[in-house]
Amino acid sequence: MTRVLEAQGIEKVFLNGDEETRVLKGIDLTLDEGELAALSGASGSGKSTLLSIIGLLLRPTAGSLTISGERVDNLSERKRAQFRNRRLGFVFQFHHLLPDFTAMENVAFPAAAPAGGISRDMRDRARNLLERVGLEDRIDFPATRLSGGQKQRVAIARALMNRPDLIIADEPTGNLDRESADRVLDLMREVNREDGATFLICTHDEGVAARCSRRLTLRDGELVLNVSGAVDDPPGWRPQADV
Amino acid sequence: MFALKVAQRYLLSNPSQTLLLIAGVALGVTVFVFITALIAGLAVRLTEQVTGNSAHISLEPPTRVARVLVGPDLPVESVALVSTFQRQQIRDWPRVIALLRANPEVSAISPRISGSAFLVKSEAVQSVAIIGVEPQGIDAISRITPTIIDGDGELGADGLLIGVRLAEDLGLSAGQPILLRTERGVERQLTIRGVFRSGLQSLDERVAFLSLQAARPLFVLPEGVTNIEVKLKDPDDARVTARFLAEATGLRATPWQEKNLSLEDALVAQGRTGSMIQVFSLISIIIGVASALVLSAYRRRAEVGIMRAFGVPGAFILWVFLLQGLLIGLIGAVVGCATGYGLCLWLEGITSVDGVPILPIAPEQGGYVAALVLTTLGATIASILPARSAARVDPLEAIQQ
Repeated sequence: MTRVLEAQGIEKVFLNGDEETRVLKGIDLTLDEGELAALSGASGSGKSTLLSIIGLLLRPTAGSLTISGERVDNLSERKRAQFRNRRLGFVFQFHHLLPDFTAMENVAFPAAAPAGGISRDMRDRARNLLERVGLEDRIDFPATRLSGGQKQRVAIARALMNRPDLIIADEPTGNLDRESADRVLDLMREVNREDGATFLICTHDEGVAARCSRRLTLRDGELVLNVSGAVDDPPGWRPQADV
Repeated sequence: MFALKVAQRYLLSNPSQTLLLIAGVALGVTVFVFITALIAGLAVRLTEQVTGNSAHISLEPPTRVARVLVGPDLPVESVALVSTFQRQQIRDWPRVIALLRANPEVSAISPRISGSAFLVKSEAVQSVAIIGVEPQGIDAISRITPTIIDGDGELGADGLLIGVRLAEDLGLSAGQPILLRTERGVERQLTIRGVFRSGLQSLDERVAFLSLQAARPLFVLPEGVTNIEVKLKDPDDARVTARFLAEATGLRATPWQEKNLSLEDALVAQGRTGSMIQVFSLISIIIGVASALVLSAYRRRAEVGIMRAFGVPGAFILWVFLLQGLLIGLIGAVVGCATGYGLCLWLEGITSVDGVPILPIAPEQGGYVAALVLTTLGATIASILPARSAARVDPLEAIQQ
């Protein structure tokens, strides 16, 4: 198994005047290729901060971060942006699609912007991804004309566009109704199973967390639960702590 | 270029706001074009009024000044005296004429003998400025023969053409004899061959024309001329051409501007006023575009943040906003130039009863290239601030909002 993520001793301290707030207190975490991990915890437990650090949107105060074998916590801003573009995929609670573009253009955007245009290959891949997420009949629809669930599926397709090593999803179903949330989660599980894509999903939803192959729980900036188990386990299965 | 496509989409996403913005820029450019064409037209009209009946360059003998003499057998402070009795003249004027004819800037040449004289009729004596000209070149500088209202205008050997006011003052008409006494004390009986009404008070009141040959004995100048008057194809070239002619001929060359310093001052002041209005038009365009784009960048913070999150380079976002400014500026400038040109043409067509345009506007001199370049550049510069702020959006902060 290839190691996708290796975080060691991650700490994050926020300063508010003279007051220090330690949000993360030495997190050690690894993820291997093909894992579908759920990160949960109460509000203020530090899960969004940890996700932002892993997503290279925030720098840790201490600790090291290695993604796909590359040390990334000390990269320059430009290199962090490049790394995010080529190696990471993002799905947010609010889809954040570009409203002036079609579904296909939104999906192709992460590849097209650095390249200076949408090539035929990009167009084909974007179409394939939209077909994959079940939106083959919405390819050329403006983003504004899609439903909430459809928009989130477009956001998943967009996150997959550059074939990332790790997909970071922050409450991807938090803004959807139950049916749409199930479809989105099913989709992520399908991509994980069929493509071997690695997911780190931050969620409040116990139902979502229960359907992931790894469960991580943060409390007061510390990782208190890190368990793995088969997805869709038979009734009665209970996760085993491995930390 | 993908940034251009994104910029286009952003502008088209709110067509009414974009149209308003372009209309604002176009209005500023229309004012710019109108003011430029009006200032240019005013300058042309004023210059034509001043230079239309006078020379653009006057060539005269160099001013003689006393000079210090240096020599071993001379006292320390010896000076060469300047004779004020000796008549100043251009002796080799045919050579100067040949040189002027070879100059492509020159459109007309008039060698002259100019001097002061008195016209005497019975008890009446009137001082006049006498201009001796080559008969075939009498209209080279001022339109005289087309404005003859009495007589045939043929100078001949003893003919004199006088202005209508002078004729009225002395009670003269064509065909009458008149005694002329020059500053040199020479007297001669001449015949009035024509009375002209040039419309210029200075000419109509105290100028008399006669032939160069008739002027020679009167001013005791058997060979030379006192001055050579020159007209140019473009009066604005007078200074440069005067400098060139002064160096080439050794004569004193005076451009028309130096003889009309107050006009030049007025034109300069007028030009500055126009420039001020142009600058303010440009500033209003820049402020308009900048404020609209600042608003747009703020409204799109979340979108920009998500782009930054999935690693779109800051330079790309910078370009998206710069190109919006450029597009607004370019389209606004083109529309404004077209509107300004149309407005100038329309105003040029409105004339008074005698067919003269009410506004001396020059539609072809609306400064269109300057308007296009400055407006496009100005609008692009105006977008730098919002573009930079958009490119620096913190993705995390924007997404959390």
